[in-house]
Amino acid sequence: MKRIAYGIAAAAISIALLAFIGALFGHRDLLPILIGGSIGSPFALEGTLLKSVPLLLTGLAVVIAFRAGVWNIGGEGQFIAGALAAFLASRYGIAAALIASILAGALWASIASLLRIWRNAPEVLTTILLNFVAIHLLGYCVNGPLQEPSRMYPQTDAAAVALPLLGTTDLHAGIVLALLAAFASWWLMYRTKEGLRLRAIGYNANAARTAGVNVNAQIARALAFSGAAAGLAGGIELLGVTHRLFERFAAGYGYSGIAVALLAQLHPLATIASAVFFGALVTGAGELQRAANISSAVATFGQALVILVLIMFGSMRARD
Amino acid sequence: MLQISHAAKSFGANRAVDDVSLTIQGGEIVGLVGENGAGKTTLMRIAAGELAADAGTIEFEGRIGFVHQHFMLVNDFTIAENLALATRTAARDAEKIIASTGIALPHVERRAGDLGVGEKAKLELIKAIAREPSLLILDEPTSVLTPYESDELFAVMRTLAAKGTAIVFITHKIREVTAVATRVVVMRRGSIVADSPSMSAEEIARLMTLAPRSGERVAEGRVRGDSQGEILAIVGVAGNGQRELAEQFLHAHPRSRIGFIPEDRTHDGIVAEMSIAENIALTHEHWREAMRRAPALIDLYSIKAQSAKQPAGSLSGGNQQKVILARELDGEPERIVASEPTRGLDLESTRFVREQLREAAARGAHVILITSDLDEAFELADGIQVIYRGVLSDRMSPAVASERVAKLMAGLQ
Amino acid sequence: MIELALIASIPLLLAVEGELVAERAGMINLGIEGMMLFASMTAVYAAQLTGGIAGGIAGGIAGAAVIALIFGAFAIHLRADQIVTGTAINLLALGVTGFVYRELNDMFTRAVPHIESRAIAIFAWIAVPIALAWLLWSTPFGLRLRACGENPEAVRAANFSVAAHRWAALAIEAVLVGIAGADLALALSSGFAENMTAGRGYIALSIVIFGRWKVKGILLGTALFGAAAALQYAMQAANRGIQFHLLLAIPYVVTLVILCGIAGRVRAPEALGKSAEVE
Repeated sequence: MKRIAYGIAAAAISIALLAFIGALFGHRDLLPILIGGSIGSPFALEGTLLKSVPLLLTGLAVVIAFRAGVWNIGGEGQFIAGALAAFLASRYGIAAALIASILAGALWASIASLLRIWRNAPEVLTTILLNFVAIHLLGYCVNGPLQEPSRMYPQTDAAAVALPLLGTTDLHAGIVLALLAAFASWWLMYRTKEGLRLRAIGYNANAARTAGVNVNAQIARALAFSGAAAGLAGGIELLGVTHRLFERFAAGYGYSGIAVALLAQLHPLATIASAVFFGALVTGAGELQRAANISSAVATFGQALVILVLIMFGSMRARD
Repeated sequence: MLQISHAAKSFGANRAVDDVSLTIQGGEIVGLVGENGAGKTTLMRIAAGELAADAGTIEFEGRIGFVHQHFMLVNDFTIAENLALATRTAARDAEKIIASTGIALPHVERRAGDLGVGEKAKLELIKAIAREPSLLILDEPTSVLTPYESDELFAVMRTLAAKGTAIVFITHKIREVTAVATRVVVMRRGSIVADSPSMSAEEIARLMTLAPRSGERVAEGRVRGDSQGEILAIVGVAGNGQRELAEQFLHAHPRSRIGFIPEDRTHDGIVAEMSIAENIALTHEHWREAMRRAPALIDLYSIKAQSAKQPAGSLSGGNQQKVILARELDGEPERIVASEPTRGLDLESTRFVREQLREAAARGAHVILITSDLDEAFELADGIQVIYRGVLSDRMSPAVASERVAKLMAGLQ
Repeated sequence: MIELALIASIPLLLAVEGELVAERAGMINLGIEGMMLFASMTAVYAAQLTGGIAGGIAGGIAGAAVIALIFGAFAIHLRADQIVTGTAINLLALGVTGFVYRELNDMFTRAVPHIESRAIAIFAWIAVPIALAWLLWSTPFGLRLRACGENPEAVRAANFSVAAHRWAALAIEAVLVGIAGADLALALSSGFAENMTAGRGYIALSIVIFGRWKVKGILLGTALFGAAAALQYAMQAANRGIQFHLLLAIPYVVTLVILCGIAGRVRAPEALGKSAEVE
């Protein structure tokens, strides 16, 4: 219960700080626009939920990795890998595209576990570097082999399939998949031997090793699960929202996942609420840019504030 | 010179030091003895100003040198650099400084990380002595030394004391206290229970524990050992390859068929953040079943816990060790490897752990007890082997071992 | 072309040098990316205000110092996880620079004073390495600073402040990274652009590992990387068209290879990334 209170307090303090800084720059209307643009209307709410879907999945990716003590900062690259694979596989149907995105995300993340196990290269750096590789690979694809036939824009054609929409809304079936993924992650982590061992290596790898856990294999599986979630995020975003690939497709979802996971205190189910909060922040920030010419970068700013406030709470608790 | 009046210190509910007063004069060699957890180190850390006391006053003039039980060396630095760091001198003066302490430690350009434990201990001692303290506190300095090196240390201590330095020598080895101390102070459960210039070994032992140690159990264990399982003790000074030996046993068998009690409970044994049940389930293939059985095991191993869902890290050291026992012994493995299973435990837990090992042997298990506590080895074992620099001696019966063990541990045979 | 490589890698080299000091003192500053980005912005801002490059460089250092203050407060005093703190700082710098860039847009679209790179090249490639080698390996201060990265407890036992030494290391890092940010914006580019550091901070972290936390090693690592980058520029100039994007990925792939080529056999400072009791 206390943890939930901390999370809510951190979110509230961060938003208050944002409003204060906005006021310093003369934007007294920052908070009303932010709220109105994210939850103020059915349309805004739809936008918030749509943004929450990729954030929930990249958040889960970080939850799984950090719980295992693995620093996967590579959600961005895995997101792109998943989307690229989904695009390529979309001609074989929706299921094939989604599965391809999961596998591609897992594979892209596995490069980092391979390098860690084989060469002892720290995954915190390799996953980040792989982000840049993925970004430029995507840039190459949308300007080269996958560019739309007219060759006018640096983007692909629409994917061959799309996720079905829910009723008459813009909401797509990916929401259901993301929620299922959250429950599946919770099940994996707290109701299976795999999860028990995954958490054990995160807390105390030495004790886990002594208890007979193969730590390297466990790290590799954790990174693969983590990458799979981020890859699925990319696939769903492509098939449900953008339908096309373009250079700035990833839009920071991978990095934002870190804030989402930390606000959820690394709990898979709390990640749902955390993702909706950051989804609202991103959507509201988009409205800020349109309506008040305030940079949408305030969303990133807000993510950073949330993490820093949470760290402060954490160290206060540690000192009690 | 040092005057402690009514000092008290608690860690949570545990009163580590309880209203202790102690005065020490220059030139004394005070043997501060007591079992693990009696409050010796805490008291001295308060005296040295490393810990703040909850109550009481400390009066002291001059400089205190404190040689901690664990090394405070920078492994990547040379001997000379370590000395320069600690004494605020230039690294090139290292040889001169070492010579002035009367301790032999050649080749100052060697990396501290490459030194053996004995030489590391010497370096720590040099670091402390070089700053010419008026009070020198040595916390279990002999635990990693061979008997010969210990004698060397005692000679240095006597020389320093003759020059007027006060020395406090923390240990739980009674023999060493009687050999070198000019005054013996015994602590038990946070209080000083005796303070006298001379005391017999038997008297010290009795005061430390207040539980007479009986020899009868040795015979008991041996009888059982002969007919069914047995306990083999592997003894040696710490750092002679015990850890590697334990790892070898661990990897030579499928994990489910060996009971393994690691030397460092918090580092290699318990996952502090996970529940008792989860810790128990960690080694099991059928983890769900193991988690269901956890409450029963908590009763069986008399673990003091509110529920099986309590984080293992919130338990006391003795109860954490019981969680490990419950996990490792419950499956009745045919082989059990226990490394320093009672280190740092209170008397009650110690007795319980030893009882469990005995019962496992009685059941038919082959128990390998790796320990640096000779009393423990002689109390439990049916056979004893000594490990020195990674090499195991022949197997001896306890009767034969009692005469040869000291020399073997020192590498003299 | 060698000259081009040396000049183009100045910001990277200064960041590598700054990170070397921080890591030797036991801190892995993942936030160096954000530190450099923020410094680039404050350098441009200060250069516009003062109209001179001295002001620009001072502004860069001031910006990096602000980030260092945040990192130090969290990593040294709150004993927060350094990787989480660094990640937050990178998001913070990205968010703040993006926000300010739009707020004060005319400040960043005007022409800026231009730094002549040659003097800074000598500074980065010759003066700083000599100074760091001397400071870290030939002075008592350097001995203690390195001890903070290996065994902070030994430093405390000798009655020195771990916090003071780690702060000193961060101060050195801030000066170097501040100049790096200024050089990036005022010498290599003509002003500030959003996310203009493009991962240089992460590459710097990788090169410190490649260089085995030694001055010679990091110089070699940066030179190798600079050569690869220069080769990429040359190929870009010669070969127009779609391969451009693949060429852009080369620096990161090279860094990955660099990390793997050597990381298996190195020994990091023992206390790297670990918080220490500072009181």
